[in-house]
Amino acid sequence: MNQGMNLVWSKSLHWEKYYRPQSIPEALKLLEESGGHARIIAGGTDLIPQIRNKEKEPKVLVDITRLSGLNEIKLENGFIKMGALVTHSQVAESPLIRERALALSEGASRLGSPQIRNLGTVVGNVVSGQPGADTTIPLLALDARVKVVSQRGERIIPFTEFFIDTGITAVDSTREMVTEISFPPLLENETSISLRLARRKALALPILTVSVVLSANLKKKTFHYARIALGPVAPIPFRAKEAENRLASAPIEDGVIKEAAQKAAQESNPRTSLIRGSEEYRRAIVANLVERGIRKGIERLEGKHV
Amino acid sequence: MSKEKIQIEVNGKMVTLEVEPDDLLVDVLREDLGLTGTKVGCRAGECGSCSIILNGKVVTSCLIPAMKADGGKITTIEGLEKDGKLHPLQKAFVEKGAIQCGFCTPGMLLSAKNLLDQNPDPTLEEMKIAISGVLCRCTGYQKIIHAIHAASETIRKQGV
Repeated sequence: MNQGMNLVWSKSLHWEKYYRPQSIPEALKLLEESGGHARIIAGGTDLIPQIRNKEKEPKVLVDITRLSGLNEIKLENGFIKMGALVTHSQVAESPLIRERALALSEGASRLGSPQIRNLGTVVGNVVSGQPGADTTIPLLALDARVKVVSQRGERIIPFTEFFIDTGITAVDSTREMVTEISFPPLLENETSISLRLARRKALALPILTVSVVLSANLKKKTFHYARIALGPVAPIPFRAKEAENRLASAPIEDGVIKEAAQKAAQESNPRTSLIRGSEEYRRAIVANLVERGIRKGIERLEGKHV
Repeated sequence: MSKEKIQIEVNGKMVTLEVEPDDLLVDVLREDLGLTGTKVGCRAGECGSCSIILNGKVVTSCLIPAMKADGGKITTIEGLEKDGKLHPLQKAFVEKGAIQCGFCTPGMLLSAKNLLDQNPDPTLEEMKIAISGVLCRCTGYQKIIHAIHAASETIRKQGV
């Protein structure tokens, strides 16, 4: 029989046990007891295809979708907090996210397809550790942090230290669990934007995603600060620090914006790829989208709906 | 491997099933319940042929372990007709020629139903986004959009 047919039509994936814990301690205990052979499943939109492709071969799945208190987006103690079960659809529809972190709303609403957004979680998107993930990039620009729990306790990891290599993060997914992602909501003089270049608008991986968070004083025509995140242009989600430094306290001028965009292109490190184009093309696109992001960010600060 | 008992509501009927821990919802619907209107296309969440409505949201059933759906409420394409009468969306798909080979049709219809349930008067852009998770390789998408638009008018005038 044709092997391709076999792959598609038959079940052709396997695990031995499926647990549905009712509490976080119970989930952590199940992970620990499985001795490295367990994986957490929430949305499953990355995990199930990975198991099918034998990129991951867990013997045990720990379904956390029955845990309470993890499906909320809330503003608490000066932070927007999203539990591990918050889906992309929830984020895309949240008025709080739209008002205080528009870049994340835009990222979540462009990911995958309605079906994938209804199933997949933001925490899952981040934990998968892909360098151009649609919610990871805006969260990096928004200065997010990750709450990780295990039987040994709890730790908070900033996004800037969370990503180790493509597909690898600071979380040991066979023993630890991310319960929450949080970030400071944007203030009056701050704005954010995400831009995405892909072959199609649905079900296409991004050629490039750029998120910009801007703070500026429009009366004095000066930037206060900028955070620019982009991917995939390196093995991990990338902060264009030199571009950010060029904008910090600089006047809002054409030349400054163009220079910052050029710096982003120089400091990023895309490879020639059959899917995403040549290195030269990808660098050009970085400069282009970063420039557009900064300009649109300024327009948003001026109150325009762009 | 030991089988586990799950209970789901499928098209308004409660069913109890014994499933393997690694059974996927799409296979349980097709093989155990005989609801073969739900199609298997890519098994990777990319084609949308296996779309169903689970707890009010359209999702790809190839990415869902059956045990995860335990306690859930499911609508498959077989649940769209009422007392032998087609849903306005189904009628509109037939009338507007929005069906050719038919493989994407269940996913298209359930995507469209999920949209109209939440938003009875969608814009063109909202219709396009709603069906963006299902691939059609025959007619293209124009006639499908026409059909959804026509059905939305019928539903607003006459109800479902």
